[in-house]
Amino acid sequence: MSDRNFFLSPKASKARLREAEQARKERWDILKAQSQGQVSRRDLIKMGLFTSAGLMLPISGLSPFGRSAFASSNIPTGLPPSPLFTATPFSQAMPRFDIFPRIPVSALTPAPTAQANTTQQPVDPALGGGTGPIEGRPPGPIWAHQQFNLLPPAIAVDASVEGAKVNTTYNPGVPSLQNSGINPATPIPPRFHPNLPDQNVDKFWTYNGSIPPKLMQVRYGEPVLFRLHNRLSVFQNQNGGFGIHTISTHEHNGHHGAENDGFTGAYFFPNQFYDYHYPIVLAGRNSINTTATDARASGPTDAGGLMKIPGDWHETMSTHWFHDHMFSFTAQNVYKGIAGMFNIYSGLDRGAEDIIDGVNLRLPSGRASVSGKSWGNLDYDVNLMIADKAWDANGQLAMDIFEFDGFLGDVMTVNLAYKPYMEVERRKYRFRILNASVSRFFKIALSDGSPMIQIANDGNLLPNPVVLTQLDDQGIAERYDIVIDFSRYSVGQTVWMVNLAEHQDGRRVSKDLSISEALSGNSDDPCIGKFLEFRIARDPAQPDISQVPSTLIPNPDLSNIPVARERVFEFNSGANQTTNDPITSFFGPWGIKTDNQGGTLAADFGRISAAPKFGTREVWTLRNGGGGWDHPIHIHFEECQTLSRDGSASKVPAWERGRKDVWRLKPSGEVKITLQFRDFGGMFMEHCHNTMHEDNAMLLRWEINGAGTPFLNPLPTPIPSPQGVTFMAPDDILPTAF
Amino acid sequence: MNTQLNIKARRSFFSPSFVTLLMGVFVVLVLGGSSIQAQTTTTTDTAAPVDSSLTIAAKGSFSDPTAGTITVNGNVIISARKVVDNTSTTTPAIVMIDFDFSQLKGTSGSTKSTLKTYVTGDNQASEIRPLQASDTIIVTVPYYESTKDVLSARTMLVNATLKFDTTTGKLAAASISVGNNVVTSAAVGTTTTTTTIQ
Repeated sequence: MSDRNFFLSPKASKARLREAEQARKERWDILKAQSQGQVSRRDLIKMGLFTSAGLMLPISGLSPFGRSAFASSNIPTGLPPSPLFTATPFSQAMPRFDIFPRIPVSALTPAPTAQANTTQQPVDPALGGGTGPIEGRPPGPIWAHQQFNLLPPAIAVDASVEGAKVNTTYNPGVPSLQNSGINPATPIPPRFHPNLPDQNVDKFWTYNGSIPPKLMQVRYGEPVLFRLHNRLSVFQNQNGGFGIHTISTHEHNGHHGAENDGFTGAYFFPNQFYDYHYPIVLAGRNSINTTATDARASGPTDAGGLMKIPGDWHETMSTHWFHDHMFSFTAQNVYKGIAGMFNIYSGLDRGAEDIIDGVNLRLPSGRASVSGKSWGNLDYDVNLMIADKAWDANGQLAMDIFEFDGFLGDVMTVNLAYKPYMEVERRKYRFRILNASVSRFFKIALSDGSPMIQIANDGNLLPNPVVLTQLDDQGIAERYDIVIDFSRYSVGQTVWMVNLAEHQDGRRVSKDLSISEALSGNSDDPCIGKFLEFRIARDPAQPDISQVPSTLIPNPDLSNIPVARERVFEFNSGANQTTNDPITSFFGPWGIKTDNQGGTLAADFGRISAAPKFGTREVWTLRNGGGGWDHPIHIHFEECQTLSRDGSASKVPAWERGRKDVWRLKPSGEVKITLQFRDFGGMFMEHCHNTMHEDNAMLLRWEINGAGTPFLNPLPTPIPSPQGVTFMAPDDILPTAF
Repeated sequence: MNTQLNIKARRSFFSPSFVTLLMGVFVVLVLGGSSIQAQTTTTTDTAAPVDSSLTIAAKGSFSDPTAGTITVNGNVIISARKVVDNTSTTTPAIVMIDFDFSQLKGTSGSTKSTLKTYVTGDNQASEIRPLQASDTIIVTVPYYESTKDVLSARTMLVNATLKFDTTTGKLAAASISVGNNVVTSAAVGTTTTTTTIQ
């Protein structure tokens, strides 16, 4: 076994496994105390458990990297492998996502309002008592829904975040035949496999409290009001030892006002709700195709036609996800299950492969003529949420929040199911693959090396499809849409999705394996190899008429848009803490240096690091300051184009030549991108999506400068509490921000 | 604001739970604290990466299930970047290797009427590997007839043997062989025949 592997092999000696389990229990007491507010990280530094940079020392009995007493020198303790009880790989069907019901806006009580609803309600004594607003959105005009009257919500989704419970309302949106035989009427308990224990209510938090993960289906031209209730316990210590009950949901990567972006400091409390207004518009709606005459800029109608909308059709997006973004707790809360996916349908990407109108690209999805649905067919359009997890000796979800390099699980899940199988027909399928891990990168291939067609990156259809036999490393939060043609197989055959990206720790991929290496079973990384089995079950009932056109969505033409400004962001270890507001700042080993000024700064959502002017375009350089780690960097708000990698445009691979919102910088690497700031205003974020890095504290705030009334310059920082959100002036503004 | 709601709220240092925790920590430190080296250092890693590249003229053949023998010609550009992790004494240097197969072309058929050409598209493969003097990387590569679309693609196998100067981290030599990819019900692709080109 390698010197720095995160997990012990199940073949390790009993003494080492006992040692590792004991270390985990001892560490657990400390991290539980920290997550429940009984002790701060500063206290742990004073106790000698952490370095001043916030790193946990590799003390034997505490850190998985502490020296083992039962092995030769410098061999780490490791983590004990997650017990599988009697669960075996590929013995359960993979559940398709559970579709959020779409309801009339009029069904919401109280009715949504442009500004936050500050109607008072009693606040539980555990949260300080008194009274507070029913909605946790910051009050007043700055955080009012932008263009609410112009783009009033047409439908609503009423959902919650809550602890684990049985799902009795599962709606996969497809017949059982297309869901590997799963009967949706059968209640689904909160567990990763039928032979694994149910997760406890405080361990497993998800949207609506249930599995499978939730899917929101939306379409251009139909604004959505997403009302999210926080139904977690008012007691912070009812968190199963990690996670926090204050939440903020980011629709990744929606083009909308900052008040709907899940800003990390706009979190809300148990018993409150937050109304997110997703207008579902095309970027450039105020400057391009403003009269909505181009049919390619459109959403699908229920009758099979098109609803033309303003904006640039080259900015059409398809595959998003939504997840918690609580300041300093994103990793824990997302790991606990607060994540779902978000499919956006358009005239181009209709979700109905048999509608032939010269606009519809007719990508694999399903037939409107069979389902009666003119858009959003999911029969052959499959969301895959891939994540590594770990559980303790009792089979309960386990996490180590002190692994600031990155947390790895040792068990692969797809759609929160342990190594499932999926029945497929002999035809083309589209898979929308999301890496929903905390720190793990994936590299996906089919076990036989067969080609896959990548059609989208980060939810944006590429200019041209790219044929690959192994996908690029896929960083956390990246979405790769691919098409697999199963017609090459015979009924009765099986083929597997395989992970080739080997990790030793959460810093980066240690080695990309060949398919044969990955299948050999020789890797020390338990998440290498097969993780999803495709069973070729039958021929399709109708011929496959879906297409993968040679041209999908060309990039927006930016040649006539001047570059107003260039900025450089360097992502480093060794951050300085220059502010110490107890609410807005957080200290950790990671940070960001902006424009080569000063040092690398730890996160503070009260600091403004950049303030691009509204209506302009900028070029940003994202630089990895180190060779020992990788960082998948995410920029909120609008999709960007990649200009170069390591100074060369030719180093941008074909699958990154469309629009993106997450970039793996690669060790010591650099990416140059360009982006625009238009249509909406407010404060947004940029951060590493290795969420352990993000939380500790590789995150910054940027805001759009000059978006007009009611926006101030600079914007005040929201300070949430159950009794109401207050505001304070930014505690820091970098000299080059404006 | 109620201080209990502060996400970094602290209870009294002398609360019962904290005293219990402190005692537990003391026990762990006394009994188990033999290693005191920091998990990582906190300095910025400033070692410059080392770039190198080789262009290999590839020539070989493999069997296609319908076209028969396909002969491959063209250059493969291999780019390597050595990166050092200065913050860890235990992590080996790595190389990030990009294979550019886009110039590979294949042909089948012996007469003008049966001649078909094959391309790999914009195909690249990116690999992260520990730096070592010699490394063999097996990469699957798609190919398809130039008059057809990417959906008709099949897979060939490229076996690359790379030699590195471990002192400089530069790519010193490379050879490539092309072989069949085998699709079986076991779904494990293996090389059945290989033709060494260079």
